[in-house]
Amino acid sequence: MSTTNQPAFIPVAELSYSKALAELESIVQRMQSDNLDIDLLAAYTRRATELLTECRRRLVATEEEIKTIIQ
Amino acid sequence: MANAQRAAVTLLQLNNFIAGLVTSPATQNVWVTAELSDVAVRGGHCYMELLQKNASTGATEAKARGAIWANRFQSIRRKFFEATGQEFASGIKVMVCCSVSMHAVYGLSLVITDVDPSYTMGDLVRRRNEMLARLKADGILELNRQLPLPVPLLRIAVISAEGAAGYGDFLNQLHANPQRLRFTTRLFPAVMQGERVPPTVIAALDEIAADLDSWDCVVIIRGGGATSDLMGFENYDLASHVAQFPLPVVVGIGHERDITILDYVACIRVKTPTAAAEWLLAQGKQCVERLDRLGQAVARAVTERISGCKEQLGLIEGRLPQLPGVAVTRARSRLDRCAMALQSLSAVRISAQKGRLEGIRGALGVHVASIISRRREKLDALRNLIDALSPEATLRRGYSITRCDGVTVTDPAQIPPGAIITTTLAKGTITSKTELK
Repeated sequence: MSTTNQPAFIPVAELSYSKALAELESIVQRMQSDNLDIDLLAAYTRRATELLTECRRRLVATEEEIKTIIQ
Repeated sequence: MANAQRAAVTLLQLNNFIAGLVTSPATQNVWVTAELSDVAVRGGHCYMELLQKNASTGATEAKARGAIWANRFQSIRRKFFEATGQEFASGIKVMVCCSVSMHAVYGLSLVITDVDPSYTMGDLVRRRNEMLARLKADGILELNRQLPLPVPLLRIAVISAEGAAGYGDFLNQLHANPQRLRFTTRLFPAVMQGERVPPTVIAALDEIAADLDSWDCVVIIRGGGATSDLMGFENYDLASHVAQFPLPVVVGIGHERDITILDYVACIRVKTPTAAAEWLLAQGKQCVERLDRLGQAVARAVTERISGCKEQLGLIEGRLPQLPGVAVTRARSRLDRCAMALQSLSAVRISAQKGRLEGIRGALGVHVASIISRRREKLDALRNLIDALSPEATLRRGYSITRCDGVTVTDPAQIPPGAIITTTLAKGTITSKTELK
């Protein structure tokens, strides 16, 4: 069993797009380096996927809204 | 009475006599400078009064009737207009070539046959320059020109002559615009020709000034056609009002070449009423185009931003599935490397210890041998000593051991008389019996 504390994340719905993206990039960067504890890898992978899904959802919603506004 | 005998001439005779007197080479084709007054065209002929005024007081010092006959009037008029942009009108100073003519019925008049427009031009320019200098000295020359143009310019206060063709052209041009700009216009009527120009235009300006917030700019356009004269606009008070007017003033009262004093002080100068409308439309068009450009820029920026975000997310999305696996593989490699390092490190450490033990063992062997040797030598010495000290060695040197009943005798008193004693020698034993006493 791991003794590493699992990280506490802010719910994605409470994050702005830019903050969510910044966190996502930070996680990717950590994953690419050896700074991420293996015990946390699963948690961060889950978080990254969650952030990605939320960012994409918001992007699509914004795009649709802008199309409506511009038309 | 004597009246019947007195000689008299008829009026006609007198007039003819005068005509004969004044009609000489000296009064024919003379270039004269004068100011025009009461100019009127009738039956193709142009009639006027020629005046000379006192420069200081303005009082008339000389006056003569003038006329340009129809056969010359059109060519003189054209020549004068082309050069000065002015009609023959009251208030203009002219240099004309004239001949004194005495008509029995119409009296003395100057028949004009030519005009030198450059004199009038010079006079106009001089007067205008004086006004400009005064406006500048008053610090108001540039005021209206320095006003910022409101954006958009859609509420237009128009000063023009009611029902004039130029005003109609202006409105038609303005309201039939393809951009569908909605202009609001209102006419503030004024006289646009002659001496009443300054007071009526100033009154119109005052009326507009009373309701400033309703208007974006003032347009002064000349109502008449190309034949109107512009002298009425060459007025200091009018120029001063326009210069100080708090809204931008657009003037369109000149011809292609002409300018009036208002052209120097108004914010915007155009040539004609139509040009004024075109300028306003161009301003509106610029606004619309600017808005269009901004709109397009916004749409483009938003599209680019969204597209950039999509690409960014796409890249991350593409990489994300591999990242945990790669991280695990990397962690495993690190472990493997640690294991190998550990193994290698242990081997080195064990080998070193082994070597050390070997060394110790070698040293131990040498040491033990040395101890044994030293002990052996010591033993040998002891043995030699023991040998030297042994009873056998003593016996060999001739000593003997006497025992009685197995007890070594060191004192003859120990031997009772008649006892059997045993004497041990190096090479044998002697048994003896002691004597009885």
